[in-house]
Amino acid sequence: MTTVELRGTPLRRVGNLARADVLATVGAVILAVIVLAALLAPWLAPYPADGGSATHPAEALLPPGADHWFGTDQVGRDVFTRILFGARTSLFIAVAVLGLAAVAGVTLGVVAGYAGGVVRDVIMRITDVFLAFPALLLSLALAVVLQPSVTTVIVAIAVTWWPWYARLTASVAQSVAGRGFIDAARCLGVPAPKIVFRHVLPNSLTPVLVQLSLDAGGVILTASALSYLGLGAQEPAAEWGLMVEQGQTLFTTDWWVVTFPGLAILVTAFAFNVLGEGLRAGLDPHRRAR
Amino acid sequence: MGWQKRLLVAGAAAVVALTAACGGGQVRGAGGAEGAGSSPAAAGSDATFVYVPNLDVVTDWDPATSYSNEITAMQNIYESLTKYDPQSQKPVPRLATSWTSSKDGRTWTFKLREGAKFHTGRAVDAQAAKESIERTIKEAGGPAYIWDSVASIEATDPHTLTFDLKYAAPLDLIASSDYGAYVYDTRAAGSGDLKDWFGQGKDAGSGPYTVASWQKGKETELTLKAFDGYWGGWSGAHYRNIAFRVTPELTTAWQLLQRGEVTFVQRLNPQLFAQARDQGMQTSQTPSFQNLLALFNTASGPLRDVRLRQAVQKAIDYDGLVSALKGAGVAASGLVPEGLLGHVEGQAPKQDLAGAAELLKQAGYGPGGKPLDLTMTYAQGDDDQQILATLLTSALKGLNVNLTAKPLQWNTQWDQGKSEDPAKRQDIFVMYWYPDYADAYSWFVNVFHSSPKPSFNLSYLKDDAVDSKIEELPQLTATDRTAAQSVYAGLQSEIIGRQAAVAVAYTQNYQRAYAKGVQGYTDNPAYPNVVFVHDLTPGA
Repeated sequence: MTTVELRGTPLRRVGNLARADVLATVGAVILAVIVLAALLAPWLAPYPADGGSATHPAEALLPPGADHWFGTDQVGRDVFTRILFGARTSLFIAVAVLGLAAVAGVTLGVVAGYAGGVVRDVIMRITDVFLAFPALLLSLALAVVLQPSVTTVIVAIAVTWWPWYARLTASVAQSVAGRGFIDAARCLGVPAPKIVFRHVLPNSLTPVLVQLSLDAGGVILTASALSYLGLGAQEPAAEWGLMVEQGQTLFTTDWWVVTFPGLAILVTAFAFNVLGEGLRAGLDPHRRAR
Repeated sequence: MGWQKRLLVAGAAAVVALTAACGGGQVRGAGGAEGAGSSPAAAGSDATFVYVPNLDVVTDWDPATSYSNEITAMQNIYESLTKYDPQSQKPVPRLATSWTSSKDGRTWTFKLREGAKFHTGRAVDAQAAKESIERTIKEAGGPAYIWDSVASIEATDPHTLTFDLKYAAPLDLIASSDYGAYVYDTRAAGSGDLKDWFGQGKDAGSGPYTVASWQKGKETELTLKAFDGYWGGWSGAHYRNIAFRVTPELTTAWQLLQRGEVTFVQRLNPQLFAQARDQGMQTSQTPSFQNLLALFNTASGPLRDVRLRQAVQKAIDYDGLVSALKGAGVAASGLVPEGLLGHVEGQAPKQDLAGAAELLKQAGYGPGGKPLDLTMTYAQGDDDQQILATLLTSALKGLNVNLTAKPLQWNTQWDQGKSEDPAKRQDIFVMYWYPDYADAYSWFVNVFHSSPKPSFNLSYLKDDAVDSKIEELPQLTATDRTAAQSVYAGLQSEIIGRQAAVAVAYTQNYQRAYAKGVQGYTDNPAYPNVVFVHDLTPGA
């Protein structure tokens, strides 16, 4: 990784980062396109009704062409339209899961890191229990017990994701809590909750932000896997994993039904990962110093 | 390597794995010796017919109680007194060469074929036939009901079998049943327990083939070999072996057929079927006696309200479904498929979303009303049922009805449907049905006659008037077919129309693909998925 000069205005810093890490920039651009596509899906999609409950069985399995860029699926819905609407579902799941996991994980982590002692031990042992299970297995078990839906997917993944943030934040918060300005606040009689949330928390967030961007791709992959197994989003919702699942037997005859949603999953996960890697490199003081 | 990189690699690997899975992946056993699976089409004295089913073959070896997928093997191992001929739509000789019935239809006399032998070496005579049918009745398995009309059986002489019936019934047709009509050697186990003996994968039939090997759970689950003492003889070219190679993935089955590793694929999806036709394979598309039923829960849950059942019926896009099936199904008119007594013309249903919305509104639901939540179960891995699920879920969504369609393994789906606790049952149960013999009675007695514990009557309909009409059917079919037709028509308008206990989604077309060399294959809808291999000639 090239050494990055971090001086000048924020805009210039971003420019420097972009020049230094081309891959991360590509990831950011792809993500921007995906986010825009998701937000503007009803206006960008050639057949917006197909993103909802419309079906056109007489046009089932038309190959890609001028009318349907990515072809049509088994009940005649435009695959391109459903991929645009699927981006909404996937990004919503990613934001919701990471939001829930980060709020729970960071709160517990920062408390554990600041308080130390028994409080830290109790919280860390609870996270250990959750980390002892493979994440996908635990998500699967939860998703099987609950009714299949997007909400189920969000809950099932968030439950397995928060311990990572708790651990990360706890270790950073512990080191922040030992610094002089925290001791000074204590001596001035600032109440503990205020110290935790006003001083320790803001100083512990940088690695969490990096981790969030790295994890978004993983969340989308896991959500797609759960939907692929029939445990996530349900018809007629547009969701990439569900689209792959429903088209899997058509791969050799009507390849477009499964290929395009598969590529959407791949590209989104890739973009989040390279962006996260770039952010980490850019914000990591050790790497910066080299 | 950082864990995020590992994640990336894992993600890429997952996509590759997913793609491989989607494409059917590596053909199982390709390149390796798969026993009887190799070079099936080779003609000669040892030609093997390799049949590809997508589900396990044998669930029950006992010919008295067998009532499932093993029919594809059993019909090549065992024989019944008569066999249904789809061309003439009548029973034709099999182990019986001729038969007569009394004027009142209550006494039937069958003349048995001379020279037929069981694989155990015992002669097939009237006494053996009587013993096997009596045992089937006594075992009271799923298909035993076909003999309900029988009061007594007499072996008048070694080749004459006489049945006295409690009420008139078409016994020549009943004797051609696909299940429960097999004639077998009840003394095969000697002093041992016959059911246990069968359970070891042994057979006591009189058909052209006998069991060579059976390995439950293996890809090539079952192989059969020629029975040299078969009454039909082995002169001329015949397949002398049959192998059943279980292949759940349709794309894999198609690849195996393309590579010449198998002879016959029981089921392809419409896209692969079209590809097979385009690539010069032999294909067969035949209307079947099998239709897809969506059974509505008439006993518990929101669909107790007949207006809601009628609304769901109207929401189904029947024409769209047939269009999306691309030849794998045709519009159904009534419950009884064409070609069977009881079929009614001109009753193919149409989607009517406005009518559905009106009915929902009357019940307090629908657009602008309170949302209605329904559950539906259907067969996992069945693409055709999945299309129905997608179309119905989408149509109902626009009517403010949330349908949760769950694909389940058959045993899970069935157990849930039979659950003693009505709260655990589904609102809509999707399944195929086909008759046990070429007669419509099976749909009514098994699916819509009430019973204290649900078995296949998964609409849970309990109606005394419907029950008594159903009970009249066997006798009427034997004595007054016009009256029987009228009762069938009335029952269908009651069950589908007034009671709205079921929606008949479509009637299936069987789409088979088989190797170029096979000669003489015809699909017999009365024996679903069965290939009578002895009738075929292997090509060069």
